[in-house]
Amino acid sequence: MELEEAPKHHYSDNEKQKIFNNEFMPHINSMYNFAYRLTLDQDDSKDLVQDTYLKAYRFIDSFQQGTNAKAWLFRILKNSFINDYRKKSKEPSKVDYQEVESYYNSDEVDRQITPDLRVESLQDMIGDEISNALNSLDVDFRTVIILCDLEGFKYDEMAKILDIPIGTVRSRLHRARNLLKEKLSKYAKQMGYKNA
Amino acid sequence: MSNPDQSQMRQDCPSQRECMEMLQMIVDGEASPDQKEQFFKHHLEECMPCFKNYHLEVAIRQLLKTKCASQAPQELVDSIKAKVSQNLAH
Repeated sequence: MELEEAPKHHYSDNEKQKIFNNEFMPHINSMYNFAYRLTLDQDDSKDLVQDTYLKAYRFIDSFQQGTNAKAWLFRILKNSFINDYRKKSKEPSKVDYQEVESYYNSDEVDRQITPDLRVESLQDMIGDEISNALNSLDVDFRTVIILCDLEGFKYDEMAKILDIPIGTVRSRLHRARNLLKEKLSKYAKQMGYKNA
Repeated sequence: MSNPDQSQMRQDCPSQRECMEMLQMIVDGEASPDQKEQFFKHHLEECMPCFKNYHLEVAIRQLLKTKCASQAPQELVDSIKAKVSQNLAH
């Protein structure tokens, strides 16, 4: 799924159109959602999706028909985001993964599991709580949750999309979910006060 | 999954971290059928913390799916299609 690789195919215009419409366009909603969750800005996400689709079209000869178009597109979008959008966004620079990995391997991670979050309190979250909780996570943690829980990518697909080892996918996911649960328990507590 | 008698369940999990990892693999569809069966039949129905965690993980995913998806604006879809057809016309 590399763009950089030499083109493997020479599709005719007709074939290109077909691949684009039948294999790329059906993922437009997922792509837009991914872009929006990355940039947290509607205009930026439209630009990012459009850039990604035009890039995908330009490099369509590197795409193997019938393979996982969604993963291929997500990878292009993620790379465009890092190269073109992350730089201009105001977000402070990223997590130190060394730190994350060592955190993951420490006992702290077990203590961190929030026992007070209950299914019942989740069912009361009918507003934007979960969306706000997700958006408040660091972009790298947000990303793995979107790819896995919303889009249903497998760990090995995520590893390819993100250019990281599978072990890192798993540890990042684990950490991301703990952080999300922490946020959700905070919301649950606030709602509890309100409803009390 | 059946509905176990909660009063008979263990209140502490001896291997919470390993269980949490297995549980997430199961929910993510990454566990083998054997691993799933082992966990569901021989652990989950006896262990209250894992039973609760399982349901919490499932509920969070459902909430994410219903509350965090969005639809691409039609103007964006049209604009992409138009740009690609222009390209093809050249």
